[in-house]
Amino acid sequence: MLKDSIAIFGYGNHGKFIANGLLTDSFNVTVIESDEIFFKNAQNDGFKTVFIDVTKDSELKKIELDTFSKLVCVMDDEHLNVFVTLSLRSLFKDAYILSISDSLNVTRKLQMAGANKVIDLYEVSANKIYNILEKPIATKLLEDFVSNKSGISFREMLIPNESFLDGKMAEKIDFSSYGVLLVGMIDKELGNAFLFITAGISHKLDSGDIIVCLGEKIDLDKFEELIKSKEDI
Amino acid sequence: MRDLLLSFALYLHRSKRYKSAKIFAKDILFNENNSYKRYFDITIIFLVISSVFILIYEVKNPVPLWLDNYDIYVVSFIFTIEYFLRLWVHNDISEIIIKEYNDTKFLGKEFNIYCVLKKSLLEKLKYMVTPSAIVDLLAILPAYRPLRILRVFILFRVFKLLRYTKSINQFVDVIVNKKFELLTLLFLLLFIVFASGVAIYILEADENSNINSLFDGIYWAIVTISTVGYGDIAPITGVGRAISILIIVSGIAMISFVTSIIVSAFSERLDELKEDRIVEQMNKSKSFMIICGYGQMTKMFFRQKRKNIGKYVIMDNDSSRVEAAQKNGYIAIKEDASSYKTLSRFDAKYCDITILCLTSSDVENIYITLNAKSISRNIKVITRVNDTENIDKFKHAGANELLLPNVVANSMIYIAITQPTMYKAIHAILTGKSIANIDEIHVHNSHAIVGREIGELDFSVHKLLFLGISRDGKFIFNPSKNTKIESYDILLVMGRKISLEYFKELHEGDIYVKR
Repeated sequence: MLKDSIAIFGYGNHGKFIANGLLTDSFNVTVIESDEIFFKNAQNDGFKTVFIDVTKDSELKKIELDTFSKLVCVMDDEHLNVFVTLSLRSLFKDAYILSISDSLNVTRKLQMAGANKVIDLYEVSANKIYNILEKPIATKLLEDFVSNKSGISFREMLIPNESFLDGKMAEKIDFSSYGVLLVGMIDKELGNAFLFITAGISHKLDSGDIIVCLGEKIDLDKFEELIKSKEDI
Repeated sequence: MRDLLLSFALYLHRSKRYKSAKIFAKDILFNENNSYKRYFDITIIFLVISSVFILIYEVKNPVPLWLDNYDIYVVSFIFTIEYFLRLWVHNDISEIIIKEYNDTKFLGKEFNIYCVLKKSLLEKLKYMVTPSAIVDLLAILPAYRPLRILRVFILFRVFKLLRYTKSINQFVDVIVNKKFELLTLLFLLLFIVFASGVAIYILEADENSNINSLFDGIYWAIVTISTVGYGDIAPITGVGRAISILIIVSGIAMISFVTSIIVSAFSERLDELKEDRIVEQMNKSKSFMIICGYGQMTKMFFRQKRKNIGKYVIMDNDSSRVEAAQKNGYIAIKEDASSYKTLSRFDAKYCDITILCLTSSDVENIYITLNAKSISRNIKVITRVNDTENIDKFKHAGANELLLPNVVANSMIYIAITQPTMYKAIHAILTGKSIANIDEIHVHNSHAIVGREIGELDFSVHKLLFLGISRDGKFIFNPSKNTKIESYDILLVMGRKISLEYFKELHEGDIYVKR
């Protein structure tokens, strides 16, 4: 299985944006379309593009989808999107499928169809309304963090073998002195769920854990280098 | 005399106290948003009800003197004051005199104060003969002792209550709208009553001992046609009974006609009446939200089930969507939010209004934004933008906040593909899951933590993650431990809601979080 190769079904509103974003981050992107205009658009934008009738299993089988690490269903037609999700799940049991949904009913259908992750078009935005009303400043800043507008952003880091963090308790380390803040982590000992530092559970950091930090790019870069070393400088 | 009046008018015109007193009186009498008006209304209603009770009690029982005095002096006194207040605020004589004086001076004409005075007094008189003013006046009259018969006029005090209920006005409105139909029926009714009354008089006056005059005949016709039928007068001849049959049948038909006209008139206006109610209730509250469009976004908004969002109303042009919203238990009205008439019904002067434009059309959203901003700059508009090309247009239209569901969803998918671990974290933070709740703490002037260093406040003990300070519009990320907290800083903190609440409680009275 090739890492970082991604198949995008649909080059409409969302597909276009995502495909372009992934390309700039040097992912290996393949666009699959059954609409001729969208297909041409994708071709003109320089993507590896496959033109097939996505409703036919026989045609889907031809493109060896099991070589992709992630399958992304973002077709503009929600019916087609659910159908493609379902076909992909029945054809490729182990595939990681990501779908977009524009309503609660569709979300439920997509989950039943076997999508690993369903992203609701409106959920985050609807929450933003509450946030704007309750805490306007925090909302603005948060958005900047996520979109990396203010220079401060989130980053996930893998704790390497023999890192000085290995075996230490998360509370004992003063991350802020490195210019970064520890937001949370995936602790392998506690299953693969994401744990926020504010949950109040004592975390032991081990190599292989993934930590998510918030900070400025320079500090994050420095810190990522730093944790590779054995000794805390 | 002329000069005296003129200088007095000028004095009043210049007096700030006079003006503010008048404005206050006007406010308390007419302005629904005045906080004292409610107490004023309740007082008047109490006075009316108590005096009517005294009247009823008095019929069979002797009334103690103090109660009688209360009825005569207190109630009537307050009603007299109210009457004169209403008369006073109706128009402004001094203003009229001064305006007229300036105008005549400008034109170089002779100034005749009596002419102006007459004109403005006539205006007052015009008010005095309006039904509500007459009711007010009659309600005072029972205080005049020598005329005991006037006690019945206390009932006019009940009519005063009508001023304080909206429903009667709406009822009259409905009736007035059906004037033509009702008048037609009334004429038909009069014709039948008169014709059959005359007929029974002619036919039975000689034979029936109960019918002695034309009035008896008409009285019988009315009693019969209304299906009341006392039976004190009854026809005895065959022809008389035939007339009875006709009059009874037409009476039933007539009554059902009238009923159906009124009922249909009401059901036609039922939605409108309901809407008026909703708008009125909204205007009574200090802040509320108008949500335009009941689509996926709005549904999702309500789905979040966060804490009480306060007063709101959903507006949609499409009646099936309004019905769907109402079925789900939301307050919704079918109105066009892009029309000036609709939005101007909401009181932007006294209330904090937030408008959410969540329709799926950018054109519609921009129009609503402009519409709201044209009514008042104070209306806060949060709008959904579907096409990123339109962002500048929305900003230009004056929208306070923009929501970009497509862009947000795209970046969420993007994160989900490239950084699956982070996706969970960011999703939890953005949707405000309890653990990852990011909140702001507003430090006010006399706050206990002002001047203390960041290092002293042990956030981690409270299981909070301190992110930084927003100071003078700039964000300081992860400030050093010896940074001192200043007044009006906004601290950005992440943590569980309960941790945050506890942190606030520790500094109770000194700390507050906006809203």
